[in-house]
Amino acid sequence: MTTLLLFQTLVSGIILGALYGLIGCSLTIIYGTMRVVNFAHGDFVVAGCYAPLVLLGLLGLNPLLSIPLVFIGFFGLGMALYYLIMPRLRRADDPELASFLSFYGVSLMAGAAMLYFFDADTRSLNYSFHPSVLHIAGLLIPTARVVALAAGLVLIALLTWFLYRTLPGKALRATIMNPGAIGIIGVDINRLSGLAFGMAIGLAAVTGVLIALVFPAFGPFSGMDFTLIGFVVIVLGGLGHPVGAILGGVFYGLAEQLSILFLPQSLSPVVGFALLIGTVMLRPAGLFGRVGLR
Amino acid sequence: MSALLEVNDLRMVFGGVVAVHGLSFTVPQHSILGLIGVNGSGKSTVMHCINGLYHPTSGSIRFRGRELTGHKPHEIAAAGIGRTFQVPRLFRRMTLVENLMVPVLNDARPTAEIIERAEHMLAGVDLFHLRHNYAEELSGGQQKLVELLRVMMFDPELILLDEPFAGVHPSLCKVFIDQINRLSEQGKSFILVSHDLTSVYRLSRHILVLDQGEKIAEGGAEDIQDHPDVIEAFLGR
Amino acid sequence: MSVESSGRLQAMAWIGLLLIGIACFVAAPALGLSLAFWFYLALWITLASGLNIMSGFTGYLPFGYAAFYGIGAYAAAICVRKLGLNIAFGLAAAAVAGAVLSLIFARTLNLRGIYFSMVSLALAAICRILVANLPDWMAGGSFGITLGVGYRLGSYYALLVVMVATLLTVTWLARSRLGMALRAIRDDPDTAEVMGINVGRARLKAWMISAVIAALTGAIEAWYSNVVDADTAFDLLISTKAIIYAVAGGLGTVLGPVIGVIVMLFVDDMIWQRFPVLNVFLLGLVIVLLMMFLPRGILGTLLWHKPRLRRVLF
Repeated sequence: MTTLLLFQTLVSGIILGALYGLIGCSLTIIYGTMRVVNFAHGDFVVAGCYAPLVLLGLLGLNPLLSIPLVFIGFFGLGMALYYLIMPRLRRADDPELASFLSFYGVSLMAGAAMLYFFDADTRSLNYSFHPSVLHIAGLLIPTARVVALAAGLVLIALLTWFLYRTLPGKALRATIMNPGAIGIIGVDINRLSGLAFGMAIGLAAVTGVLIALVFPAFGPFSGMDFTLIGFVVIVLGGLGHPVGAILGGVFYGLAEQLSILFLPQSLSPVVGFALLIGTVMLRPAGLFGRVGLR
Repeated sequence: MSALLEVNDLRMVFGGVVAVHGLSFTVPQHSILGLIGVNGSGKSTVMHCINGLYHPTSGSIRFRGRELTGHKPHEIAAAGIGRTFQVPRLFRRMTLVENLMVPVLNDARPTAEIIERAEHMLAGVDLFHLRHNYAEELSGGQQKLVELLRVMMFDPELILLDEPFAGVHPSLCKVFIDQINRLSEQGKSFILVSHDLTSVYRLSRHILVLDQGEKIAEGGAEDIQDHPDVIEAFLGR
Repeated sequence: MSVESSGRLQAMAWIGLLLIGIACFVAAPALGLSLAFWFYLALWITLASGLNIMSGFTGYLPFGYAAFYGIGAYAAAICVRKLGLNIAFGLAAAAVAGAVLSLIFARTLNLRGIYFSMVSLALAAICRILVANLPDWMAGGSFGITLGVGYRLGSYYALLVVMVATLLTVTWLARSRLGMALRAIRDDPDTAEVMGINVGRARLKAWMISAVIAALTGAIEAWYSNVVDADTAFDLLISTKAIIYAVAGGLGTVLGPVIGVIVMLFVDDMIWQRFPVLNVFLLGLVIVLLMMFLPRGILGTLLWHKPRLRRVLF
């Protein structure tokens, strides 16, 4: 194959990787603060894919402009979901199992709801930028992808600023590092967790918007795939490390795109799963070697 | 009389932290060794190493002449070393009787006999009426007591007691001390880790003082109490 | 669940219950009742009980439980279709395949909590993809294999035998020393080891038993439906349903998964009849409500509130 194809693949890998990284980021915020694996995370991403479709149809809104709306909407939804379910789950005998399964239930509900409203056929976001393709360094890249990457980078920057420069963000990171201690210094962990959860869901949905720009199609059943990708990414990056998740995502994106290039289509998903298993069994602290949680 | 337990040049390193620095000591047969030191001095780490929960970075641990370093915890238990924990680690969702049965699951004796023995032990400390309750339903002090009984079920020669008196009501403490004394008379040996210096001085014939992973003093209660290094370690900083 | 029993009374009650249950199942086809309904009822009871051995007794959530089910189904199908052997060989092959696969995956038992669950999920997915990509002459590719075996009723009775064997195994486990060791391991593996339990060996035993049960179930289902294909045989839903049914009834109890399956299938059936469109949505809702209000399951919650019942129900 040509070097051009290889470069194309690498670029795709980075772009997709950044988005996967964002999924991982939002998932790890939830895991880090609440030690809950959100089995429904991918479904919120998919919901985020549908959102610009709806907004475009209803309001003729540019997908980029829909991002703030999507974030606010899903932030609210996330917080509502949190306050509805989590307090009860915390009191269970085995909160980890209880939350794991409840979010699976939420995942089923979300998938069914999207199926009901949008039908089983895959959809795509048909929004064309002008020009629709860009020439960069001899490669042909759809503008939508470049836009998505740019937006993704902005999001990552905003998130990093939030986590490292604002008080609630720092409190969040502190909670991830030591959930027990945070209560002692007077922070209401319940409110903080609610905030974190809302933010994570909002971020997941916004990532969905970007994915809609990049992926050729999506359907109501893609949720589980994204959840799994999210999990692989956060294991690669180290559980509870939002920045690690981004790096893990890029690594995964590259691995995925390269495997599509070199392996037959139907076998390529194996790579992602093999990466997950390999990392967990051999380097549970993630590729970047920091100490894992718990 | 050869030593029951010989620890030679034990070193335990975690990443960049040296928790135990070349520690050597022995526990003679039929004796109680007190192990004291401020928090972070390495006491629990030493216990974990003896138990097999940690693999020592280097050094040797010999029990009854047999090299036990790096062996798995269940092999070490089978060799005759038992242990209680600072925060009681009973099996929460099992009943008291079941908790007591766990250490002797490999025993050849019939189940009925084992149950009888377990109930007898519970009766001895006034907990018979709770024998069918799940362990998590007991108070902290009661749990610690049951932990001690659990260890006694498989009749180890050496028992590691990690802070047995921490958070226990004084009246229950007395029950503990009675049990320890009784077992000691039967010939059992102990390593007693505790912050309750009075009890340690009273029970132990020989005491080891640790500070930052190193032995800073060793001797009888009188020697330790007036030792300048010990006083500095406990009060100085 | 206490090992110390009120002896005779409990044993007799349990045997009585078992016999009544068996009688219902055996009589069902003769009474003209829906074979499909009773077959799948027995199937899920078996699967949920098999899973209970790993989850309730040992404390793992194998989201890839379907891997054993699928390998059993394919082993049987290959034996029958590609090797021309009798279905009995197929079942035996399935059991062996399940055991072998469980040994291959045994290293994952060192993992805890979600790590284990996710790796389990990933392994099952890899199995699915690999099997789907095997050459057609070996495993039928993506179209799967049609067994071409007759005597459907035979598969039903074979399943009943496996179901009863599973329930007896779980009962034995509940009262045996291995079962106690497993529960101790579930509660605190390190302490269990310090108390003298060979944790690795105990877990492996439970793991293999659990796997063989799933493999046999998969094989019998292949016999019943006469077809296997990678996507259905290794479906995530097999694992998740088994987990949910077992949890709904009560993990760690013998009757729990049975009760859970009966209740959940009943609920599922009711939803399907009244609200066919919202079927999956309501199932999800039921799961969420269950975990919020009855996290110990139906039987588990009952036993928690009424300790005296622990002597009778388990």
